[in-house]
Amino acid sequence: MDRPLTSLKGWYIDLEKREARPGELPDDVSRAFLGGRGIGSWFLGACPTADPLAHDAPLVFATGQLTGSRIPASGRTAISAFSPLTNTICSCSVGGRLAIEMRKAGADFIHITGRAETELVMTIDNSGVTFEEAHLAADLPLSEVFASLARQGGSTAAIGPGAKAGCRYASIMVDGTYASGRGGLGLVMASRNLRALNVMGTSRLTSVDRAGEEAARTDIIRLFDASPAIMGRSGLKNFGTATLVDLMASRRMMPTANFRRTYFEGYRAFSAPTLARHGRVTHHACHGCPIACKKRTDTSLPEFETLSHFGALNENNDLASIIEANRLCNEAGIDTITAASTIACLAEIRQTRYTGAALVEKVKEIVTGKGDGELLRLGSALMARELGVPELSMSVKSLELPAYDPRGAYGMALAYGTSTRGACHLRAYPIAHEILRKPVATDRFSFSGKARIIKIAEDLNSVVDSIGACKFAFLGASLEEYAKGFSAVTGLELDTQDLLRIGDTISSLERHINTLRGFTRADDMLPQRFYTEAGTNGPGIEIPPIDRAAFEEALDRYYRIRGCNPDGTLTEIRTRGIALCATR
Amino acid sequence: MRNQVEKYLNKLLAHGLIDAREDCALYGLDDEISTNLDRVPGEVERLFEILSISSLVHARPGRDLWRIITALCDESLLLITPRDSESLTFIHDIPVVDTFDPDQIACALNRRKGCIVRDSGIVTLGSVSVEQAFIVLSSICFACFVKYFSDILNTICEFSPEIRPEHAHFEQALELLDGFRPPSGINDLPARIPDTEEGIVHAMDITGKLMVSRRLVDSFFGNISCLKGDDLYISQTGSSLDELPGYIDRVPLDGSSTCDLTSSSELMAHLRIYELTGHRLIIHGHPKFSVIMSMFGGELPFGQRRSVGGIPVVSGEVGAGRRGLMHTLPEALVEGHAAIVSGHGTFLSDAASFSNAFERLSAIEHRCYETYFETLRKNGIEVP
Repeated sequence: MDRPLTSLKGWYIDLEKREARPGELPDDVSRAFLGGRGIGSWFLGACPTADPLAHDAPLVFATGQLTGSRIPASGRTAISAFSPLTNTICSCSVGGRLAIEMRKAGADFIHITGRAETELVMTIDNSGVTFEEAHLAADLPLSEVFASLARQGGSTAAIGPGAKAGCRYASIMVDGTYASGRGGLGLVMASRNLRALNVMGTSRLTSVDRAGEEAARTDIIRLFDASPAIMGRSGLKNFGTATLVDLMASRRMMPTANFRRTYFEGYRAFSAPTLARHGRVTHHACHGCPIACKKRTDTSLPEFETLSHFGALNENNDLASIIEANRLCNEAGIDTITAASTIACLAEIRQTRYTGAALVEKVKEIVTGKGDGELLRLGSALMARELGVPELSMSVKSLELPAYDPRGAYGMALAYGTSTRGACHLRAYPIAHEILRKPVATDRFSFSGKARIIKIAEDLNSVVDSIGACKFAFLGASLEEYAKGFSAVTGLELDTQDLLRIGDTISSLERHINTLRGFTRADDMLPQRFYTEAGTNGPGIEIPPIDRAAFEEALDRYYRIRGCNPDGTLTEIRTRGIALCATR
Repeated sequence: MRNQVEKYLNKLLAHGLIDAREDCALYGLDDEISTNLDRVPGEVERLFEILSISSLVHARPGRDLWRIITALCDESLLLITPRDSESLTFIHDIPVVDTFDPDQIACALNRRKGCIVRDSGIVTLGSVSVEQAFIVLSSICFACFVKYFSDILNTICEFSPEIRPEHAHFEQALELLDGFRPPSGINDLPARIPDTEEGIVHAMDITGKLMVSRRLVDSFFGNISCLKGDDLYISQTGSSLDELPGYIDRVPLDGSSTCDLTSSSELMAHLRIYELTGHRLIIHGHPKFSVIMSMFGGELPFGQRRSVGGIPVVSGEVGAGRRGLMHTLPEALVEGHAAIVSGHGTFLSDAASFSNAFERLSAIEHRCYETYFETLRKNGIEVP
């Protein structure tokens, strides 16, 4: 059966009643929010103040309209809900085969509410939705969960022991190794008593304009090939994200010792060339992606953030323990960034270090709840508050900072503040221009121009997450080429600027939802450490503290550009515009 | 932001892309617009309202360059489609609009990073910085120049004089050619590779500056590398040849570091050239007539070669893809230590001398310029 790539169909699931109702989004909604993260945010906008774990607050799986086409790197799924870690709106872009299977099964979105009486596994295929009792032990490692649920050609999203135990940063894992990591969406899924989602589709997907699709594909592939960050000797294709380790160390922006320093002497222990010698490395790709950034040996190799945070942030130069910590997190289904950062925070509070076997032990405690496990499961913000030292949590809106020290890239600093899900590097990804020189280089130690750059990049990435594309693709190609592909695939004549306007709507809606949930300007500020303590200098590189006044001025400019009041809330006219879009 | 505006205004002048400061308006926007003008025109304010961008450049190119561009606009009506590989890769095609009307321009810039406005010049944009708009402007000028002279050469050679279509631009082209003769002159670049890192960076710096100041290339059209012991020094991706200090990566040859993530997209080709030639430095640029003559004869199928003025011309795209120039170029350099990648640019390797490499880059451009004339003569065109 062929299905056009344009219409957005899906399922409304009520787990309490074990009911599945098919639905189709009105054209004006799919045009206004595109799919993926945009649709997720639109659904969440209907209940903006809901408790993250309330059963009527939706958990949304949504694909983008490029998924299933020949446009490269367009197989991502967006999973959206309110975060039990941060209480913000939260959306994660996740790889694997989930998106393509959903599209082929005619499920562009899956909107889940209610709590099942007993734990379920839900299966969606072209014939509809079925529910089965899970009958899986709560502490069953995810590799065994996936092994027991695997279907030929299908895709599975599942939660692990972390979520079952109530860890606030539990992830949803897809196809064994792909993590919807940040914000604790796994705990949301656990709160619904849904252990896993299986999807298998058989429809053939067809584009509106095959020739236009092929032309866009050719342009994009040519740009991938021309990008050192993607296809170069040390690009993502060869080394995956681990390739960033050396660069972050050389730029003196590798968070070390819970961000007390910005350089770790032992970084070579977990750099990409070291990992490459770890065993026979194989390359794995999300559906339709020529980059294949996921690297494995006999186990999934850690991503850059995981390497850096289980490494430098914890002053740990023992690669085996980093790999083991990563494996444990994946088996338990917990976010490696928050786990590593929370351990580093506890280490600073106790004025000790957890390295090697001690680090692995702390991860095991998170999984089992023994020792410091209950404390560590809170995440660093709540844990540090409970221990009376909230300033030692290196987080924004309770989400821990990833492995780019903001003192080494001021656009990144501003983007950590303004991101709608807390300290996230991916909402604006200024590392592209501040470090990787794409599309052009900017001065990483200056706020000049950064407010507008961050605003535009946030809008861009809202689009990227809503059409099913991967952010890494934009280290080579641009929205110009993807817009051309989008129009060819869907028949919707949307150009670059049309898409950026949609991105603005999505980003602004998310900010507005956060405002309704009580977030203010104070929540857009960085931890005090970054304004008062210097980083580690290097040859010709000085890493001073961030000038707080300059940061606040940049934030003021950002607010003006975004259409906000000085307190970070949207202006009345912007609020009305966003509300109009959200109530379609 | 104001500094960026001033810097790129000066660069446009220095590169000969505009004749006078008054011929160009640059705008950079954070929450307020910075510009080199006394006030921001209403049309530009309107454009910043319509478009989600951070910079805009509106420039009327230098007189002769503008004559070329307007001639192309006359032929192409709505869209100019370049054929050189850099333009195909990065700017794809160039929309043409009639007047500096914000809605018309926005319509073009909704889908491309720059456009030509028939009555006033070129408009380009950036979402990150003024530099981005500057690069697009420079690229459009390059693309138009190469297309104009390529098209004329191809038309002349494709048809015998008896059946040759009337081409309104033949006379203009011949008239203009003399003004674009590549500059000559001696150079005082190092004849041997310096012993220290500082010396190598300095040698690369002055070589890059000379390539630009001699107008062999614009700032962003090339790269340079040099071997010292177990390290390769190579200009970073997107770096400016006339501003290299601070933008040169030191890359260990043994692959022990991935710091070359920011290196030129041609790194892998450079490494292979060193492996095959045993040489110690490479310079690469996109001199216009070398590119034009490399395209003469039509598209070169992947893996095939031809020559121009005795210099091998190879096929291959930018970067490290399956059809990348790293698979075709290095072998070609083994023989004569120079080769042109069709529609892209010239690569030179040398055992020790920056001076020799530069001299040969310049000589090849001169040879290609002369070959252009010779080809016209052979096809019955009277060349002054």
